[in-house]
Amino acid sequence: MDKQKRIRIYMTGVGGQGTLTATTLLARTALDEGLDVVAGEVHGMAQRGGVVESVILLGGWKAPKLDFGEADILLGFEPLETLRGLPYLRSGGIIFSSEDAMEPLSVCLGQAQYPALAGIKEKSQAVAGKSFFLPCRSLGQEVGSVQSGNTVLLGALCASGALPFTETALEKAIQKHLPAKIVETNIKAMYLGVAKVKAAS
Amino acid sequence: MSHPLLGGAQNERHLLLGNEAIVRGALEAGVNVVTCYPGTPSSEVPDTFYKLGGNGRYKMEYSVNEKVAMEVAAGAALAGAMALVTMKHVGLNVAADPLFTAAYTGMPGGLVVLSADDPACHSSQNEQDNRYYARAASLPCFEPASAQEAKDMTHQAFRLARELQQPVLLRTTTRLNHMRGAVHFDALPQEMPLVPWKNESMRFVPVPAVARNRHKVLEENMRLARNFAETSPWNVESGQGRMGVIASGIARAYLADALYAGGWEDKVRVFELGMSWPLPETRLKEFLRQCDRVLVLEEGEPLLEQGIRDLAQRHNLPVNVAGKNGVLLSIHGEYSTSSIMQGLAAFLDCPSPVTAARAHTTGLPNRPPNLCAGCSHRAVYYAVRKLFGDEAVYSSDIGCYTLGLLPPLRMADFLVCMGSSISAGSGFAWASGKPVIAFVGDSTFFHSGLSGLVNAVFNQHDILMVILDNGTTAMTGHQPNPGMEQAVLGEGVQHLDIESAVRGVGVTEVCRVKAYNLKALTEALQNFREKKGVRVLIAEEPCVLYARRVLKKTLPQVATVAVQGEDARRCAEELACPAFYKKDDDLYVDATLCSGCMVCLQIAPKAFKAVKR
Repeated sequence: MDKQKRIRIYMTGVGGQGTLTATTLLARTALDEGLDVVAGEVHGMAQRGGVVESVILLGGWKAPKLDFGEADILLGFEPLETLRGLPYLRSGGIIFSSEDAMEPLSVCLGQAQYPALAGIKEKSQAVAGKSFFLPCRSLGQEVGSVQSGNTVLLGALCASGALPFTETALEKAIQKHLPAKIVETNIKAMYLGVAKVKAAS
Repeated sequence: MSHPLLGGAQNERHLLLGNEAIVRGALEAGVNVVTCYPGTPSSEVPDTFYKLGGNGRYKMEYSVNEKVAMEVAAGAALAGAMALVTMKHVGLNVAADPLFTAAYTGMPGGLVVLSADDPACHSSQNEQDNRYYARAASLPCFEPASAQEAKDMTHQAFRLARELQQPVLLRTTTRLNHMRGAVHFDALPQEMPLVPWKNESMRFVPVPAVARNRHKVLEENMRLARNFAETSPWNVESGQGRMGVIASGIARAYLADALYAGGWEDKVRVFELGMSWPLPETRLKEFLRQCDRVLVLEEGEPLLEQGIRDLAQRHNLPVNVAGKNGVLLSIHGEYSTSSIMQGLAAFLDCPSPVTAARAHTTGLPNRPPNLCAGCSHRAVYYAVRKLFGDEAVYSSDIGCYTLGLLPPLRMADFLVCMGSSISAGSGFAWASGKPVIAFVGDSTFFHSGLSGLVNAVFNQHDILMVILDNGTTAMTGHQPNPGMEQAVLGEGVQHLDIESAVRGVGVTEVCRVKAYNLKALTEALQNFREKKGVRVLIAEEPCVLYARRVLKKTLPQVATVAVQGEDARRCAEELACPAFYKKDDDLYVDATLCSGCMVCLQIAPKAFKAVKR
């Protein structure tokens, strides 16, 4: 794929889940591959149990923020947030999402209802050209850490052919940029995501 | 291996946060002294300096408030140091007094002021546009729009600050502070030598006779700064045609993407202002002569737009100036690629290529920010609401505890600014005769709550002040403050005892309790309820996140529901701890979220019990 192909990725998750760590890892991977990369995020008050959104832009885009309909790829680390972020995806874009729910407080206290996963998938498919829903949290647990569930999703993204680099680049970046003690877990998690995408295509 | 910000050599390329790039720029300039008061979105600048340590390269402090930070930095710059002071936009209001004087006397070593503005109020109480300060105080101003520019302009700001001896404003917005991008490093020299101090009291002591003269010097220095703006590599022209666009700040990034996406790169003539004050009037005038119409793109107030109109009017230029249109290009919130595309389409009188979103998702359960599970503020708020209900008025302050505003605790009726809880609360009680309870955190207490307390004692106000002492600056990421324990502060800073400070200014009704102890809290509150005058309750318990991450303390037990029913249900509703969850009408405690504070056991001893973690 053309290294200068312009791609805009919208990422969303819940505060404390590691969304920003995943964003930085993917941005570093792109930079190591020699791509133009800009990432955008917002820190602070919104993080405490709130929604955490970030963007990664490849190939020369400059604005660290996306509007509705601009993202080529949506990466949802939590299914309700995938649904909330759906307006950002352009028609025919690709979705990679966790299907393991983290219920908001209002749902925990029985004041609101969590939307059904089947409905989330259906709405996603109405916009996206392709969508992948993976049990990230349980796959993360399988290799020993819930947090590495995010890397499952990054692995799926890199193996899908949607980016100008593959899981090989991500593996290198994990080795280079993550703390040594979590490298092995994350590489295992990454390959679980890779396998899911390869099995689906 | 040393951190790339300190160890990275010339020509290396690293992915940096905008705020980290500012740090590298300051290091490349040779900064000697850094002061700050933390505040989103500026905090990663001082936090990065703090983490790096500097290895003797620079001195760095967390000051107690922005005014003090500005004064310490000004003193250092008077002593000849290259000084950086950082704060969020509203902090600059606190620091405005010394800033205006610093511009009059000049700062021999070079002073750069970072103001991190927050359009869209991501974590602030207003959207104020601090480019006004550049105009009001006469400060040359830089506005980066990428991580690379954040580094390079910081470096440039220091060079200009030292050359002109005038304070320079580095004005950023949230999106710049929190963006990441590739940054090419320049060489890292040793820190700059101090400019030798020359005793010139007729310059540095601005009595009226001095100040009148210095005002003229300031005017002349701003004329020199204008020459810099005329030749600055950050003020760039491109494109062609009779339709012009003038852009500054992060709007430049949105503009670049909009021009690309709309295929308009050859259709407009563009003037980008990276050094945005003073305006390069000669060049702008020439630019305006080449245009029939111009569109000005800037987030926030229409400052640049007014400047361009003024320029056109003064020079009789027949150019039509457009800018804020009150709709997509308004003074509210942030610009975006699509808002600029639509603005440009209207300006160029062509169809907008922006397509509407395909999906609409409304009515989803939200995730509002909330006090953490086990947050000690919740325990205090619960006790206060139980005792005072709606009979008292609650004066809040700035910190995590502002979130006590949310139901069911509803512990914030009004809030003015940092440190205002005690002083605004005093005024409210004075005027209304109602009981007022003021809540303030430890860092905010030292920031400016202390002066309000002094005033309350002096003027014999009738107020109960509750100091929510969680031992850290929780909201902005656990930065040191004087209330932090000595073991965490380490060497070079001194712990201050809040109770001694409170007693020291003359408060006699003082009580210190553990925030998780509902009985002690309630007794203290009951005692104060019967009394008049200034009363201070200090409720102590470390912030749960800070206890876990920094103090490495976790409580050995967690709560669990022993008996389902009315008691458990009411406790969950009134305390609203996020560790509670319901399933099939039964209540549970999420053991991974429960901090073990055991406040629910005190509220409903039959409904809950403690179990080993």
